[in-house]
Amino acid sequence: MAGSRLEKFGTVFTRVRDLMRSGVVKQSDKPIWYDVYKAFPPKKDPLYVRPVAKIYGKKEEAVPDIFYREDEIRAKFYEVYGTGPRAFDLTKSNFVSTCQRFVEKYTELESWGELEKQSLFEETGKALLAEGLVLRRRGGPAVASATRDPVLGMKLTDMLAELQTDAPGETPTTPGEETQAPVTPQ
Amino acid sequence: NFMPVCSLGLCGLHHPWLVAAGYSCSGPLCATAVAVKTLPLQTDSTNVTDKILNLPLEMPDFFRCADRLMEPYLFGSRLDQDIIDLDQTVEHLQSALNFTAHIAYRGSVILFVSRRRQFGHLVESTAQDCGEYAHTRYWQGGLLTNAPIQYGPGVRLPDLIVFFSTLNNVFQQHVGVRDAAKMNIPTVGLVDSNCNPSLVTYPVPGNDDTPAAMELYCRLFKMTINRAKDKRRQMELLQGRSAVGLTTSS
Repeated sequence: MAGSRLEKFGTVFTRVRDLMRSGVVKQSDKPIWYDVYKAFPPKKDPLYVRPVAKIYGKKEEAVPDIFYREDEIRAKFYEVYGTGPRAFDLTKSNFVSTCQRFVEKYTELESWGELEKQSLFEETGKALLAEGLVLRRRGGPAVASATRDPVLGMKLTDMLAELQTDAPGETPTTPGEETQAPVTPQ
Repeated sequence: NFMPVCSLGLCGLHHPWLVAAGYSCSGPLCATAVAVKTLPLQTDSTNVTDKILNLPLEMPDFFRCADRLMEPYLFGSRLDQDIIDLDQTVEHLQSALNFTAHIAYRGSVILFVSRRRQFGHLVESTAQDCGEYAHTRYWQGGLLTNAPIQYGPGVRLPDLIVFFSTLNNVFQQHVGVRDAAKMNIPTVGLVDSNCNPSLVTYPVPGNDDTPAAMELYCRLFKMTINRAKDKRRQMELLQGRSAVGLTTSS
């Protein structure tokens, strides 16, 4: 059966239609899909589009970015608190994350309209604390310095020297009067 | 194949009131790989739309590498993820399924093609359930264009090729798309945002990465083809009966 293998010229339909019109393909050999395509054509003709050479320089954004008003709140939340205390549980479809709770509380307080913008952020944090959600600021010390045992700051050599001076009749073999250099790992 | 969403920070957005309060969008929103989606403000209430909206269908590729030709089908881009416009997807899917149904009704050979190894078995079993054919392995160069020599003279070529992913394993366009256009065979293809939809006769913009989306499409095509074939058998029976009735009465 005759055909046209020029996929870059016209669509499948136009080629077959023209082949039939010129008599190359008989009406009895009409493809099954011809009538269906004629009755229900696609929205856009499947024409071959030649690849355009890459345009250097300024290219306008064809696809718009999607941003919401709540994104400002979310951005601030993540900047201050880092990722929330609770991980995202994606197995639940109705899961509400820490950030989302924060955003909801923020919009709630904003809708009341009593507080001003600067304090709104702090107030939301306090409100969530009252509800039992603890938020910890990002960038703080990993372990609080007050709870650190002072023994951990001592050098092992000095401790050995102390033991040996305590022990009776031993020559104190101190390795030297070094100052407490801050070499011990914190 | 997971999304580095949580590292981006702004994740887990899936609330309808955001749409009302937000800036620009009044359409479907994207969530994460598993959880999805809000109900948009459109009033289309077909079953298919509901099914589609409850699946991560509009969550395509992870990097901003959308094909230029796919840009009209995109709703927008959220943190470098291109979101496909589901309103358009519904229309395209409707026309594609309609075409498939009519073709199946007229008794044709349909070929399912997908080079995604993850869904190879799914596509093959779908084809088996419909009574149609599938090709999910390496596509030899002359499969369509050199068919009489490779498979013997007088071989019947498929009348419709359905691509469940128009890309091959090297992220280039599948050879079958071009070959089908060469052999004047219409194609229905699931085009993702990094695909080139120009040669596909009935492109359906949608996600081809997630199992949930692929299962939906397979189910839809299987249902369409089975219904079309049942209708055909029914019509043949009716015609057969009416022909018998005429001959006996006359």
